Amino acid sequence: MISDKLEKLRPKIRSLDAIPTVPAIVQPLTAMLQQPADEIEMERVIELVSYDKTITAQCLRMANSPLFGRRQTDTVRSAVMALGLKRVQAVLMSCCMNMVVPAEKWVFDPVTFWRHSLGCALVSRKMAQSIGYPDPEKAYLAGLLHDLGILVNSLVCGEDFRKCIQAASDEHVALHRVEEQQLGFTHCESGKILADQWHLPLEVAEVVEFHHRVVPSAGPLVSLVYLSDLLCRVRDLGYGYYEVMGIDLAGDAAWAALVQHYPQLANVDLARFTMDLDAAIGEIAALVDAVFTTRK
Amino acid sequence: MASKMAIDLTQPKNVGTSSAEDLSDPNYLKIRDLIYQISGIYQSEDKLYLLASRCARRMAAVNAKTPGEYLEHLTIRANRDAELRSLLNEITIGETYMFRSPQQLQALKSVVLPQIIEAKAKLGFKRLRLWSAGCSTGEEPYTLAMFLLEESEALLKGWTYEILATDLNDNSLVAAKAGVYGEYALRSTTEPLRRKYFLPVDEKRMRAGDQLKSLIRFDRVNLSDDSKVVFLKGIDIIFCCNVLIYFDLSSKRKVVQHFYANLLPGGYLFLGHAESLYQVDDTFRLVHFPGTIGYWKPPVGYSGGKP
Repeated sequence: MISDKLEKLRPKIRSLDAIPTVPAIVQPLTAMLQQPADEIEMERVIELVSYDKTITAQCLRMANSPLFGRRQTDTVRSAVMALGLKRVQAVLMSCCMNMVVPAEKWVFDPVTFWRHSLGCALVSRKMAQSIGYPDPEKAYLAGLLHDLGILVNSLVCGEDFRKCIQAASDEHVALHRVEEQQLGFTHCESGKILADQWHLPLEVAEVVEFHHRVVPSAGPLVSLVYLSDLLCRVRDLGYGYYEVMGIDLAGDAAWAALVQHYPQLANVDLARFTMDLDAAIGEIAALVDAVFTTRK
Repeated sequence: MASKMAIDLTQPKNVGTSSAEDLSDPNYLKIRDLIYQISGIYQSEDKLYLLASRCARRMAAVNAKTPGEYLEHLTIRANRDAELRSLLNEITIGETYMFRSPQQLQALKSVVLPQIIEAKAKLGFKRLRLWSAGCSTGEEPYTLAMFLLEESEALLKGWTYEILATDLNDNSLVAAKAGVYGEYALRSTTEPLRRKYFLPVDEKRMRAGDQLKSLIRFDRVNLSDDSKVVFLKGIDIIFCCNVLIYFDLSSKRKVVQHFYANLLPGGYLFLGHAESLYQVDDTFRLVHFPGTIGYWKPPVGYSGGKP
């Protein structure tokens, strides 16, 4: 079964050469995203923001937006201060992924993609904090990057991938199910290839590979992002179409796996956790808006 | 030095519009949490402005100057129980109109009914029973009746179905049976549905037609009255919207236990859109649907996995 899949995947893997090499900013950024907030150096953040004029413009624009209620901000420093570290990190990461996939190559609607990725990042961090997972920032990074394979599929499968998205949306089913049928592999496998090529942290690469198929050997971060991804998809932070879902999260194997490591999960008020996500949607929309409105 | 600054940066300062200043009063969060603890109704932070406006009316009524002072009315003053009830009334006011929860109906259509239909069809039992527990003036059961009738040639082809609609309040039941509604109750009911299932009464009001009424059996039931509730059996789906919020914890637990017994295995309980059963019950399984949650009584032998 698996070798059959890989056979189909092989020619695609070769064409992955077409993907631009990892942008210079990705390495320092992923490193930074994994540090606790109080160890991050301000100067380093400003340096990263100044790295690219598009990113600078986006940060400034966002800092000046009504949501953050700023008076005129015209320096990178004051913009970074106004936005706060977390928001700046999100803008940075999404900008540099946008560099990887040029606007005309997006098959998946980029606004939807970033809403889902940022949503999953926030939910993963929040869940990490609620259950006592020791590295909430790593959870954030893993949530942000879990769907990396959707970028890969956009680049290497183009029209075929567009058809998958269309079919998933028409039939109201999960995208990876359609990918399995029509491409013979999913964004999990193709994402893993890019994650390795970019030397992303091993745990993050594992999330990219297994976030729709939690295997018993996978670490707790995989279960955590898997559950966050499901929560996003039932709370209007999914793939932009109605997905038919009725899920018993606490009855899921991934839940059981995570509870073993973090017993506190069993005490989480899941209904309240879910309803709190609705409050995050406005903030995510504003972030995504900041990343995209200046691109046009 | 740099690291200290970074800590501040993770907490961008709140901006100073006047409403934001009001909402930033931590007492609103305390009131929110109190309501949640007492009633199970939860307001996420993006809905705090709603809570504040509902509180504002009660604050004016009891002459409380600040949210902090009002919190005292809800917690330590002699009339706190009555005040809490008044606030809950204020919070749930305007919740009753038809098609109030489209996500619930969507979940019924795409997941819940197909699931129940598949399980029951295997047993050759093509009959469906829905219960609107605390139906108030009837908007919910009539919505369900329209929903079922619209599926009668699709999902429910060849099935029979009925809706039990109960309330404690006699006046509400009289209004529900009459089925006469104005623009507010019909605000989300589309023109084709109005034409199909309602008759005009006068320029402003419409009356539910016989096709709807024939599906619904209205009855007076006190949910706390064990002797009566025990006899309701074989229910597939229960709707109980903004009713449990008025019960104390032990009554709530009892009612929910009865619901569990009333339901067939595989049946579902739906509450109001902001309600939950946290700490009330751990026999039902919480199920997430797009935009809404439901409580599920799994079939015998279920041990996790897909509902």
